[in-house]
Amino acid sequence: MPARTGAHPQRLTVVLAPWCPHCVPLSVRNGRRLARELRVPLRILDIDHRSQERAADRLVRAYGDAAPDYLIPQVFLEWSDGTVEHLLTGFSEQVPRTARAWRDLFASDWLRATRRAVPR
Amino acid sequence: MTRSGAVSRVLVTSLASPGGSCYRHCDRPLRIRRFASRLPGTWQVRACPSGVVSVTVYTEWTRRDPTASARTELKRRTVPPSLVTSWDLRLATRHGPELGRSAERFLARARPRRGVRVVYWRVYPFRGRDGKERRLFVCFRRGHPSPVFYAAAPDSEANRCPVCVRAAKRSG
Repeated sequence: MPARTGAHPQRLTVVLAPWCPHCVPLSVRNGRRLARELRVPLRILDIDHRSQERAADRLVRAYGDAAPDYLIPQVFLEWSDGTVEHLLTGFSEQVPRTARAWRDLFASDWLRATRRAVPR
Repeated sequence: MTRSGAVSRVLVTSLASPGGSCYRHCDRPLRIRRFASRLPGTWQVRACPSGVVSVTVYTEWTRRDPTASARTELKRRTVPPSLVTSWDLRLATRHGPELGRSAERFLARARPRRGVRVVYWRVYPFRGRDGKERRLFVCFRRGHPSPVFYAAAPDSEANRCPVCVRAAKRSG
């Protein structure tokens, strides 16, 4: 994930479905926490809602892990310079593995560096 | 150094996902079996002791999307090959921060920069022409060097690998 000079995080998006155990409550809870830490709003895109599904498909196709029946959750961070960073896709193996990925993301060098870009 | 696309040990460790049980079939612990192919990445089959497949995972350290080549390799091992559809193949990219400190630093140092691409093949239970439920099975028996995937009724006594059945007919 490249470092950005002068840009700051603007919005966090979680693409999910309410029936998916990797998504609810796990990724909603962690998405809220990450958004709070980065001081950005959280946007939830539910693929079961037609209008949200279109936005989710566009985001996944342009920046994420696209497939005819793509994996959820997928998490994206939008930056003030217009770039969109794909952060995480759920681990299809099992829910505890997705939970571990969230824990690792919170403990990552990436998050430490990104927090420094957050305006005070 | 690893050959192009091969997954280094630090990444294999970071991606590991032991545990899990057979969902809505027998609830027994999943066994993880590995197999080799012509592709540079690694293959893992997560299946219960009866051979019902939970998910098959192909992992490659690459910039490109390996879904098409993974699909080709799976079709070579599946009877009939039409069981492998694009709908059941799902891609995931692992960038590093979500894989733990060692993998994150390893990937940050690596040049050229590339993520780890993972292709999941998950076939959900489906109904056959007779209306009965079918599940994806895998056979690792000797007699064929790589696994054979096939669909069968989950409770049938005749859950037999088509390649093994053919070999038995030829010999007997």
